[in-house]
Amino acid sequence: MHEQQQQQTQYEPKIVAFLCKWCSSAGSDLAGVSRIQYPANATPITVMCSGSVSPQYILSAFNKGADGVLVSGCHIGDCHYMEGNYYARRKLYMVSELLQFIGVEPERFRMSWVSAAEGTKYAKVVRDFVEDLRHLGPQDKLKAQRP
Amino acid sequence: MTKKRTGVFVCHCGSNIAATVDVAAVAAAMAGEESVVCARDYVYMCSDPGQNSVIQAIKDNQLDSVVVSCCSPNLHEKTFRENAKAAGLNDFTCEIANIREQCSWVHKDRAKATAKAIRISLSAVKRVSRNLALEPIGIGVTRRVLVVGGGIAGIQASLDLANSGFEVVLVEKNATIGGHMIQLSETFPTLDCSQCILSPKMVEITRHPKITLMTSSEVQEVTGYVGNFRAKILKKATYVDPDKCKICDDCAKVCPVVVPNQYDLGISARRAIYIPFAQAIPASYTLDESSCLGLNPVVCGKCKDVCEAGAIDYDMQSRTVTEEIGAIVVATGFDLYSQDHLGEYGHLENAVDGLQFERMCSASGPTKGKVLRPSDHKEPKDVVFIQCVGSRDPARHCSYCSKICCMYTAKHARLYKHHVPDGRAYVFYIDIRSGGKGYEEFVQRTMEDDETLYLRGRVSKIYEDNGKIRVYGNDTLSGQNVEIEADMVVLALAMQPSAGTAEIAKTLKIGRDKDGFLQEAHPKLRPVESVTAGIFLAGAAQGPKDIPETVSQASAAAAKVVTLLSQPRLIRSPTVARVRSRLCTGCEMCVDACPYDAIHLENGKAVVNDVLCEGCGTCSATCVRAAIEVKNATPLQIQEMIGAVLSL
Amino acid sequence: MINLQELRTRARDLLTKGEVRAVVGYRRGSRGMAAEPVVITRPEEAAQLVWDPSCVHNLALYLVEDRKLLKHRRQTPDKPIAIVAKGCDARAIVVLLQENYFKREEVYILGVSCEETGVFSDQKLMRRFGVNSQALTDARFDGTDYVVTSAEGEQRCAAREVMAERCLECRQPFPKVNDVVLGEEKARTLEAPFAALGRFEQTANTQVARWDFWKRQFDRCIRCFACRSVCPMCYCEECIVDSITFTVAPDTTAEEKANRVRWIQRSATGSENIGYHMTRALHLAGRCIDCGECERVCPVHIPLRLLNTKLERDAREKFGYEPGASIEVASLVSSFRDDDPNDFIR
Repeated sequence: MHEQQQQQTQYEPKIVAFLCKWCSSAGSDLAGVSRIQYPANATPITVMCSGSVSPQYILSAFNKGADGVLVSGCHIGDCHYMEGNYYARRKLYMVSELLQFIGVEPERFRMSWVSAAEGTKYAKVVRDFVEDLRHLGPQDKLKAQRP
Repeated sequence: MTKKRTGVFVCHCGSNIAATVDVAAVAAAMAGEESVVCARDYVYMCSDPGQNSVIQAIKDNQLDSVVVSCCSPNLHEKTFRENAKAAGLNDFTCEIANIREQCSWVHKDRAKATAKAIRISLSAVKRVSRNLALEPIGIGVTRRVLVVGGGIAGIQASLDLANSGFEVVLVEKNATIGGHMIQLSETFPTLDCSQCILSPKMVEITRHPKITLMTSSEVQEVTGYVGNFRAKILKKATYVDPDKCKICDDCAKVCPVVVPNQYDLGISARRAIYIPFAQAIPASYTLDESSCLGLNPVVCGKCKDVCEAGAIDYDMQSRTVTEEIGAIVVATGFDLYSQDHLGEYGHLENAVDGLQFERMCSASGPTKGKVLRPSDHKEPKDVVFIQCVGSRDPARHCSYCSKICCMYTAKHARLYKHHVPDGRAYVFYIDIRSGGKGYEEFVQRTMEDDETLYLRGRVSKIYEDNGKIRVYGNDTLSGQNVEIEADMVVLALAMQPSAGTAEIAKTLKIGRDKDGFLQEAHPKLRPVESVTAGIFLAGAAQGPKDIPETVSQASAAAAKVVTLLSQPRLIRSPTVARVRSRLCTGCEMCVDACPYDAIHLENGKAVVNDVLCEGCGTCSATCVRAAIEVKNATPLQIQEMIGAVLSL
Repeated sequence: MINLQELRTRARDLLTKGEVRAVVGYRRGSRGMAAEPVVITRPEEAAQLVWDPSCVHNLALYLVEDRKLLKHRRQTPDKPIAIVAKGCDARAIVVLLQENYFKREEVYILGVSCEETGVFSDQKLMRRFGVNSQALTDARFDGTDYVVTSAEGEQRCAAREVMAERCLECRQPFPKVNDVVLGEEKARTLEAPFAALGRFEQTANTQVARWDFWKRQFDRCIRCFACRSVCPMCYCEECIVDSITFTVAPDTTAEEKANRVRWIQRSATGSENIGYHMTRALHLAGRCIDCGECERVCPVHIPLRLLNTKLERDAREKFGYEPGASIEVASLVSSFRDDDPNDFIR
């Protein structure tokens, strides 16, 4: 039992974080400039707009072994491309619903609006995410079972 | 694919990165990648020696692509892309891996931070290996501007542009330019005469050699893209040749038709042939076809008979002209919220709107500057001014604040007191919003010097009673109910986009916000640009604003146009979408989703206009067939980056 | 009730007058009463046409096949093709028109209203009578019950006992978009919309139960792609999930071949099967009109309708979007509303 607990605390969830260039990646930069500390589990992939994040990217990340996937964009109304995040919200809502529908833990896919001024929020989003995923343990439902 | 030769350069950034990230380990990990032929770390990659070492390494190792693991790309992407270029590579063969802001500065655990830095660097290596060498897109520019709307915004923008040396085509729907400003009596906060400050600008419009003025005209169709638009403009027949018209008024004297004059908002009358007002530009009479008896000498023909100048031509035809322009300024202005929506407030005989009141106060207006109530033309002694009529009422009317009403109501109250010194002025208000230079002082003077009674509260009931208007309200500051027997009521109606705004937005393919105002490209950073490149916004068409703000925005829009059209060629980023034609079925989902209208169908396949595309990639995530992707951010690249991110 | 003779006459007249080049419809199959799709091109063939509860297929698929064939032959026909279309088939055609797969004037929709009935579920027939439609010689709906004739003689049963689940839940059994329509538009109260989905959610009401259920389903999938083949919306030349459909054209470059994105591996393992079915469901969001064909043809009986109707219900409830309702509107994923759900975002 003790040994199991030990392993539990050592488990480091892997998170792929799709950040839009203009808001969330800039917000993450601000977290850096402000030296706000957060866990190193989320590795960012900067994309031009949250609207460019295809549902395929999320499924692919889970398939390749991500324990959690984050998509973060500009707040509604602030999209650098006007409307990209509206499209993202609609598409990714369905991804999130479908994942839950087949019994994937709802905590594994997360979306956030983080503006370029919200370094603190970005750090919190990642911190919360890592915390939630630690409780869940590794994701193996969608992970490729390759020989 | 031939094997890539990538170089990875890991920066210590002094101790900014190196203190937390084992930079040597990152370089070593990258060196183990198949495509990486050279990986090294250096204390300050962005220093002169650092930059030189990158250039030298590219040459020495025949690198075809470069990854620099350092700070945010916002800081030094440009620097290192220049280095790549200096070494003979294309800009886009260089990618930045952000291991400072997004890694070393936010983590303390050295092992974890190093692992993350490796993941970030590796994903950049994966990405760069499939980057295409792209050249910036250059396009030619037509150095002419179309300004839509001849109010103060359009006038100001046109003059600024013409004075900067650009040819301007100014299109106005009505028979004269001047917009709502020319209807005003005095302007806040200085109470100078509106016509006196606007008329010289209007005259300058007609005299300016660079400005072509088209009144009674409408933009029908706009095609093309930034720098290269083509506009079809309908010039409606006015049946009077402005060049011949001597504005002698002989024609109007004999015209048998009397109709309400819109310029005075119906409180005066005009003939079918008329001049909107004395200072109208162009200075010419115009024949209103809809009220004329028939444009036919057999039916009437009186005006043509008396016109000694021979300026009247019943056979004049509307015609469409085509103009080539490089940029467009939209300044289509506002209308007052219609009293039809108001229920009990609406259409009481002695309740006038703000613009009608302006006309009354104007020395050249229908009452020659006397405040007279409409029903019996007597001087009103008790006048109630009601603010926020239609504004700030999300449940029933407009949710937004119309911004100018607090100020013009204060002005109206003062003008009234100046005209009728023994009269009593009451103002019902929700809040007083008087931000602006000299504005608060102006309102204070209205209250103190001109003894206007301000009552904080909404009017609850209003009705006509025995020739008076009974106004019930609540003064929330004293907590008492208020009842006023008024001779006249002035409604500060909400501002809304002018009637043609929806149509022009559709014609120009620019968005509107939830209230119908024209949508700016970014609420903070691009407030005078529309979503469509090359189309700019000025004045109240974009949102409620007063004259100084309108003038500023018009000049800002003009400056933006000057910036755009001063470039010898327009340079656009080449990371645009491209269609994989073979896979495209022409379903048009990308066409619908594109925020820039940059995609259209040609022979059943999507085609991207490189000039309009901003490269956001919404199209690629929308397409279920993977038939459209953004260059250098393709699904294949993202997939490999995902793999890299999860590799460790 | 639909007058079969009228259907045949209409089809014959269209062909006789040369108004259409072919009619896609149903004819009696080789066993029992079970209908099969048929494409007729000569007026006399119109007598073969049938319309009864065994006409289960979504014929819109054959419009897609027709398009692909024409493209392959590089032909541009001067006449439309006619199609016998139920409510669901017509909705499928609407989606295809919405996606410009063909033009409205290129298809002549001979609508048939299901009125208050629908088509059989062979599984249900087996359960109720121990035989499927291939063993029946006749079936009709008498206004309240189904009357089926088999070797056992004439038997009666309530419609819901033998009707396909999707027909019970159907909200639009009348083909709204049509050139001519037989039968009436009638109100139905057989089953609430999304009833099967609701029942599933009540049974599998925990995350664990749902995963247990779906894992079993997806593990069974043999990736025969029958669901994809029968779906009129799966008309992509190349399916993004596998390389089987990768078409090599004369202009296909080596780079293109090398740069194919392989989102999902071909092996029929659980994880890849999930990837396939999730992708398919998402690609059908706002496009699936619930003809239920994928579920009908699945050889291992994966309840695929649940996935599709789940997203259809979300589209309807959260986005006010009804697939197959209008040719003019923008697709579900290429449009948005200000009040789309936002609560799930942090």
